[in-house]
Amino acid sequence: MKIGLFIPCYIDAFYPQTGIATLELLEKLGQEAEYPMDQTCCGQPMANSGCNRDAKETEALFIRNFSKYDVIVSPSGSCVHHIRDNFDAIEQTDEVRHVRKNTYELVEFIHDVLKVREFPWAEFPHKVGLHNSCATLRSLRTASMSELGEPFFSKPKTLLSAVKGISFAAPRRPDECCGFGGTYSVTEEAVSARMGLDKVTDHHDAGAEYIVSADTSCMMHQQGCAERNGVPIRFIHIAEILNGARA
Amino acid sequence: MSDETMSARDVIMQRLKAKKSPQEGAYPLPPVVTLGDQDASPERFEASLALMGGRMLSLQDGEGIEQAIRRAFPEMRNLCTAVPEVEGTLRIEDLETHEQADKVDVMVVRAAFGVAETGGIFLSEVELKDHLADVHLAQHLIVLLSKNELVGNMHNAYQERSEFRTAGYGVLMSGPSATADIQGVLIRGAQGVRSLSVIWA
Amino acid sequence: MSNRPVPHARLAAEFLKDEPHRHFHDERLWDMRQKRDEQMHIMPEWQELREQASRLKEHTLAHLPQYLEQFEENARCNGIHVHWARDGAEHNRIVEKILKDHGHSSIIKSKSMITDECEMREYLEPKGVSVTETDLGERIQQLDNELPSHVVVPAVQKLTTDVAKTFARYYNTDPNIDDPHALAEAQRNAARPVLLSGDTGMTGGNFLVAETGSFVVCTNEGNADLSANLPNLHIATLGIERLVPRMADLGVFIRLLSRSALGSPITQYTTHFRRPKKGGEMHVILVDNGRSERLGMDDFWTSLKCIRCGACMNTCPVYRRSGGQSYGSVYSGPIGAIIDPTFNARKFSTLPFASTMNGSCTNVCPVKIDIHEQLYKWRRVLAERHEIPFVKREIMKMAGRLLAQPTMYRLAISGTEVALKTMPRFVLYNYLNPWGKHRELPHPVKETFHSWYKKNRLNRTKTQREETQA
Ligand code: SF4
Repeated sequence: MKIGLFIPCYIDAFYPQTGIATLELLEKLGQEAEYPMDQTCCGQPMANSGCNRDAKETEALFIRNFSKYDVIVSPSGSCVHHIRDNFDAIEQTDEVRHVRKNTYELVEFIHDVLKVREFPWAEFPHKVGLHNSCATLRSLRTASMSELGEPFFSKPKTLLSAVKGISFAAPRRPDECCGFGGTYSVTEEAVSARMGLDKVTDHHDAGAEYIVSADTSCMMHQQGCAERNGVPIRFIHIAEILNGARA
Repeated sequence: MSDETMSARDVIMQRLKAKKSPQEGAYPLPPVVTLGDQDASPERFEASLALMGGRMLSLQDGEGIEQAIRRAFPEMRNLCTAVPEVEGTLRIEDLETHEQADKVDVMVVRAAFGVAETGGIFLSEVELKDHLADVHLAQHLIVLLSKNELVGNMHNAYQERSEFRTAGYGVLMSGPSATADIQGVLIRGAQGVRSLSVIWA
Repeated sequence: MSNRPVPHARLAAEFLKDEPHRHFHDERLWDMRQKRDEQMHIMPEWQELREQASRLKEHTLAHLPQYLEQFEENARCNGIHVHWARDGAEHNRIVEKILKDHGHSSIIKSKSMITDECEMREYLEPKGVSVTETDLGERIQQLDNELPSHVVVPAVQKLTTDVAKTFARYYNTDPNIDDPHALAEAQRNAARPVLLSGDTGMTGGNFLVAETGSFVVCTNEGNADLSANLPNLHIATLGIERLVPRMADLGVFIRLLSRSALGSPITQYTTHFRRPKKGGEMHVILVDNGRSERLGMDDFWTSLKCIRCGACMNTCPVYRRSGGQSYGSVYSGPIGAIIDPTFNARKFSTLPFASTMNGSCTNVCPVKIDIHEQLYKWRRVLAERHEIPFVKREIMKMAGRLLAQPTMYRLAISGTEVALKTMPRFVLYNYLNPWGKHRELPHPVKETFHSWYKKNRLNRTKTQREETQA
């Protein structure tokens, strides 16, 4: 299985350690993953702003970069959601369909495709609050949704439960959106930042030392809110914990 | 014809018929369903009624209905009745103005049936002797209800009770009037009756 | 109606400034959502009910002319006068005419969103007709001359202290009352004489039943039963989409409505009107006002399934933190954001963007409207119609170009690497101003993933890599 690694721009620029952990983790799990050097973005920012046409060239580039792989894996739920569910600014050729069908968010790739449940090298002696982004929760469906009253399941929690020493905080509103929302974070900054502050406060009040998530963009926003308001909580991507980070 | 000369009805109908989506054939009429708990027991009714803020009034040993009402409302001056079991101070048929009804402390009616799922009781112009508004003007409401006239849930009610097809006015009252419009605080007796009590009879 | 886009972001920011209001609003609506969840959890048939409700509504909307005709015929047989209104203005003229024919001039009215939509009060009042809202929340909004904030709890954005001040102005009560019970009592006492003297009763309605020609009104206060039955003239206004085919179908909708709205098993009053009361007269006005047009919109017609339960508003994290007034419309929250643009695309062009598209609304909707997907589609429609700000359009165009060219993109990224390290805080904050207003920026890093990969993977031999792994 040839894996193409998609590392979206904000991970590339601000959270390289998440990209590194993703790659190393895949390698530890016996996979060969490659990072196409010409990759940029999946087109989501333009599409979510309604400017779908402006996403066309970016989507085309994405296809040029990734169509040669059997699967594409990314440590970003919202990007995978865009590729899978909305990537339609370009013509839907076989290549495009192949890419859209075979793009996975890291957690679901490990959970559903590799079916790995053990990470013997991983130990994280901390209480964490798990943040499921709305894309992973309600679009990729990697966890049960509180609004539907369905039986509980959580792919990220299943994976994290194999990590030595980890424990989970129970926030009051586990699936409430943190308010990032892409360009929303700028166009409606006041509401967005309030939601972020409420989110980190909820986790902190529940005793979480860390917020862990499969979506860096949410955490970038939450971290900004926590730091501005002096909420003492740290942030870590699930890939880093599964890859063996201790703190 | 232009919009100007056609009737509003025809214009709206024409607009609706001109639409291509949604396609008629694609959306068949689903069969009627009866889902969920259909328990029609008095116990379920009582529990639901309590949840909706209503209460049961049970008769003590040897006590008549009217006595029980007087016991529950010792301050009451005007007891208006729509049932033969209670004499009261005036009969609903004798109410001549709404202002008179406005002064009623307690109104007694018999419900056609009750719904166990919601603690609701059904009243129509038949039970109210055509005094539709007066029942809602009274301060408190006493409802006589037979245990034999209970349905399980709202599916049962609409499917089994013919009153929905025969009554001109039919209200399912589930507990008393209520509001939470001021800072979320639940208040009974917002506009209609302040309390609703059911007597098995 | 002004065409200026509703400044949702600014109005929401203002709403957030007052801590007690912000806090109460969020918690109150969240509590309603929690209570809704409790009901769902004790009903194993919940999802089946939603599915059934959705299919019933879709079927009815697909066959609307047929059911409207059936309703009209049955209602007429029952002695109800049926009127049709193409738009709000026509609706208001119909009401005016009915009143004139009777020599009436005072309306007592229970809550109905659609008469607000038609701006009926604004039309009738200058003509000497008094219109009194009898629902407590709606009355508060009327006295304050504001649109309803929420479809179920119209004054939910206010605290007891606000209501006390308003009532003091109109009811001569103490402006410092802090007990909601006392205020509700004041309203009850003020409303009674008005109810008793009103010559015309008006209600909205939640459902029209084609099979029987009846309509259903759900309230908690019982004010619709008073408003409709006290006077001898009852006028009910309903949108043409309110139909259900059969009486038995009500079982599905009534079981979902109040549970979704407030988490109570049913509204305190569920009232079925089938014919005028003895000696009375009953009119039903069926209003289109853009509905037939909406029905023809491939992507948006299912929004007509809405039963106005407000569950989408209660769960919406954006609505809870921005308040209903910030939507500048009769319909606020997620449902407002997808139907308001059909009334006025420019004015409400901001609303589909007032969302993180988190999707919670879609999950709670009892009739399964794909609300967040419609928000996404509206954004496209509005961008294509140039109903989004010029600056945003330009930025997106630039971003689209930049992200399509790896070399230029790399340069830009290395720019941020340098910029974050070297530029003074205020310059950056100015540039990324909205982000930085209430948030810190991400921390600068030594190298991007791209350069790390180049160094640590591309420039290493395969054996070196195997060694590290071993
Ligand atoms: S869109 Fe759905 S959830 Fe929102 S008010 Fe309408 S029916 Fe209720």
